[in-house]
Amino acid sequence: MPNTVTGEIRSIIDPVVSSLKRHQIEGDKDIALAISHLLMKVISAARWTNPYDLIDLIREVGTILSSAYPRKIITGNVVRRVLALIRDEIETEHNENANTPMMSSMFSLLSTSNNENHKELHKQSKKQMSDLRSIIIQGIRDLVDEISNVNDGIETMSVDLIHDNEILLTPTPTSDTVLQFLIKARAKRKFTVLVTESFPNYIKEAQNFAKKLAEHKIETILVPDSTVYAVMSRVGKVIIGSSAVFANGGCMSNSGVSHVVECAKEHRTPVFALAGLYKLSPLYPFTRDDLIEVGNSGKALNYDDFKLVDNVELVTNALDDYISPDYIDIYITNVGGFAPSFIYRIVLDNYKTEDNTLE
Amino acid sequence: MSQAFDIKETYLKFLEEDKDLTMPIAAIESLVIMLRVKQPSTSSELINLVKSNIDTLKTSIPNAISLSAGCDLFMRFVLRNTNLYSDWESCKKNLVENGELFVRRAKESRNKSAEYGLPFIRDDDTILVHSFSRVVYTLLKRARTEKMVRFRVIVTESRPTGLGYFMAKKLREADIPVEVIVDNAVGYVIHNVDKILVGAEGVAESGGIINHIGSYQIGCLAKVNNKPFYVVTESHKFVRLFPLAPNDLPGSINRLIKEGTEEEKDSESMLSTHKLDFTSHEYITALITDLGVLTPSAVSEELIKVWYD
Repeated sequence: MPNTVTGEIRSIIDPVVSSLKRHQIEGDKDIALAISHLLMKVISAARWTNPYDLIDLIREVGTILSSAYPRKIITGNVVRRVLALIRDEIETEHNENANTPMMSSMFSLLSTSNNENHKELHKQSKKQMSDLRSIIIQGIRDLVDEISNVNDGIETMSVDLIHDNEILLTPTPTSDTVLQFLIKARAKRKFTVLVTESFPNYIKEAQNFAKKLAEHKIETILVPDSTVYAVMSRVGKVIIGSSAVFANGGCMSNSGVSHVVECAKEHRTPVFALAGLYKLSPLYPFTRDDLIEVGNSGKALNYDDFKLVDNVELVTNALDDYISPDYIDIYITNVGGFAPSFIYRIVLDNYKTEDNTLE
Repeated sequence: MSQAFDIKETYLKFLEEDKDLTMPIAAIESLVIMLRVKQPSTSSELINLVKSNIDTLKTSIPNAISLSAGCDLFMRFVLRNTNLYSDWESCKKNLVENGELFVRRAKESRNKSAEYGLPFIRDDDTILVHSFSRVVYTLLKRARTEKMVRFRVIVTESRPTGLGYFMAKKLREADIPVEVIVDNAVGYVIHNVDKILVGAEGVAESGGIINHIGSYQIGCLAKVNNKPFYVVTESHKFVRLFPLAPNDLPGSINRLIKEGTEEEKDSESMLSTHKLDFTSHEYITALITDLGVLTPSAVSEELIKVWYD
């Protein structure tokens, strides 16, 4: 592929790339928003004559962005959403010219039409081009709206899912979505929330989370991670936040969550996972080790304790956990609740398979 | 010439001539040839011809599961094109003229399945393979030769057909370290296995697979041991069956599975040899097909797309 990223574009994306590399943009929503704004800028700055050139450019930008923070799935998701948007636009325009009936995928074996080389045929006038540009930018604006208001869609289901006097447990105090979900439910229901302490990475967040819930008059109890199994028999529902959801229905979440869902399975406690649509990824979790980020081991074992440090071979501090689809009962997204086995369908609706690999 | 046309013979000849050809494609091919020879002049004649020939094929060929998948897909395609677009003339012409195209596409779809499957195979993997499957073989070979992945394969002997030995031979030719084990040893080795790959004769609506006997027990062991169980297959093997149990396959097929039972019972061996079993969807982690990596529940959707619209 020719190098389509010009110096001009490079100068637009570089600041975001370096702040991604330094982990200066934290929080999934912030990253998603930053990427969509960046892509909007790239599309307005880029010059192209054929929309497929634009696709190539966005793919290349996507590769650069995802290699800046390889373990964040969200960067890739947003890039793919934008690519799907562009492809949809091209398709609708293309279909206006030639009205060919949609062939289902199994029939592709027997279909006799050949529409593989329409790439070259696609030359457009200047006017169409600027139209396309503004349509795409409008599309990204809608995407930004969707990402910013993701909690609204999820919150609306909270009242239906939470009963009065129920005990809930949440092991992901870092998730703003979970917080808003619970606060919204409090407007109509009275319930108790158990928050795990989340040692060693998110203790502060857990305490703040508990404090915020308490401020909204939700009865909140902070429990040590080790007591999860003991309290599980009294818990009505486990609510987890997720940082990425894969096409097979598995998801990434904070470390320690897989232990909690294992306990939940043992007690047949339902597990609800909350995820905005932008967290759904068309990727498949091939190897778990590639997905899990490892953090500062000094948090797990204090380096000041040198007598102990000397005698310990290796301390790892994983920041994430992969949760396999068997452990999750339902995903609650801003477009509705879905079984893990149905996630592939939502993924197909929002992404194009051509873009699963960006390179 | 047109009177002497025999669909079964044509079908068997196709399979004989091209070892890479799968049953559903051979069936579609022979139906195309049939149309070319018979030259039907009305659409109802065309439909009747296709129907009767499919029936002949299905009844005369033992082990007709993937064959019937191909036939049904072809029938549906013909019906759809004659009814919906009322241009059966051009449709027929296309079918007759593009016979070779289907074969090429079918081989491409095998390659495409392999393409989607490549990232599943990693360095240092130990992969358990059951029996011989062209798609699994293509996938493993491509992983070795194109991606230079270093992995190890354990192949089950797969009695009573013994196709495992054939698979092992072919893999060894492709420079992949192979070990053949007896079917009884799956439980013993599964602890060291990273993932399991099997092919399929047919994929049922539930997402379960009909495959060479022994797949079901490997699936159970995989589930108990928390090992991923992947099915590599082409989408033209999706069939409209909904078996409920490992031995719950339609009557005619079931009889064929027990094929050989009678004569063997007479001999001293007292062995009853079944050929196929059904592995239900809960044992399958994912299906690697030319439509992408699917969860078992996605199969029904693909079938619905073809049959109810």
